[in-house]
Amino acid sequence: MDCRDIRESISACVDDEASPGEAAAVRAHLASCGRCRVLERQMRAVGAGVRQVRGTVPDRFREKVFARLESEGAIPPRRKTTSAAWRWAAVPLAAAAGLGLFLLTSREAVRGPVPPDPATARVETSAPGASSPQGNSAALSSEDREMLALLDILEDPAAFDANDDAEGMELLAPGDSADSPNPPRGGRSEAWPGIHSVS
Amino acid sequence: MLLFREGSREAFEELFSRHHRAVVRFAWRMTGDPFAAEEAAQEIFLRIARAAPTYRPTAKFTTWMYTVARRTTLNYLRDTKEDGEKVPILSEGEREDGVYPVQLPGPDDRNPEQVVWEAQLTERFRTALGELPEGHRAAFVLNRGDGLSYEEVAQVLGVTVQAVKTRIFRAREMLLSRLSEDVSA
Repeated sequence: MDCRDIRESISACVDDEASPGEAAAVRAHLASCGRCRVLERQMRAVGAGVRQVRGTVPDRFREKVFARLESEGAIPPRRKTTSAAWRWAAVPLAAAAGLGLFLLTSREAVRGPVPPDPATARVETSAPGASSPQGNSAALSSEDREMLALLDILEDPAAFDANDDAEGMELLAPGDSADSPNPPRGGRSEAWPGIHSVS
Repeated sequence: MLLFREGSREAFEELFSRHHRAVVRFAWRMTGDPFAAEEAAQEIFLRIARAAPTYRPTAKFTTWMYTVARRTTLNYLRDTKEDGEKVPILSEGEREDGVYPVQLPGPDDRNPEQVVWEAQLTERFRTALGELPEGHRAAFVLNRGDGLSYEEVAQVLGVTVQAVKTRIFRAREMLLSRLSEDVSA
């Protein structure tokens, strides 16, 4: 085969794109043609040369591209980092709140339904679930208040009603006044059948 | 790209992270100028983002991306040309004997002098690359620089595989011819 006719096939062979028949013809030609062997080597080298032209990513390229994209409205805006931070902060807060609930309820469980005191029994018979606000605040420790504050932060009033629980605790406290001005909201003492059975 | 089309900014950020180097390199090789390459590369990502609503995964994403990239750089070069800066077209000066009087470094030719010479050669090579006809340059850069097969290059350029084969061969001849002229001068 003439050198001029096979050069394009040599180029394709260098790129591993020649057909099997074409590659065989090129090998046969190169075996007998010194000039085309030199050309084949030059073709490989010039192919490698393009990879030396690399360029570099310009400074602040990413920022510039995204600024243009945002100004055109071509991409959704970045989410606010503050909301993301709040989401992450909510995890430990929720855990703390859960712990608080556990501590409060377990404290009540430890106390258990106490033996009826005449005064307590009087409360139940005269005004079911009655308690005093002064008694409520006195029964809450600083730790309890902290826990309740965490619950307030979570803005989940359904999860825990601080006043109701505090009142419930007061119902169990011996020596509570029967003439409390603030009767508890209905139904709370229903959770403690032992109290009712006493009356 | 499909996730981005559905409104995920994170998907586009991931796409950008994966491909921005290749896009900048391609733009650099096609324009031969760092400022032009940056302008073109920015425009490529803008066009990719704008095209998202109509994107259909009928081909590899990279093939589609290079199609956008090539058209963008081509338009950029045309605009530059209209502004007065010519994009020179090298005459196809094929040598009769098919051998070019230029020594090109091979994989075993490594020494300090060789490295300096390679740096000079790389600069000359970049100039010569910029003087190729755009279609030849794109075919050669996509195949040798970005690793696309002849078939993929054909898809990007919208031509036949045989046309790609011929363009790459002609690009090689022109580059060797130009580099030989530098050596002879």
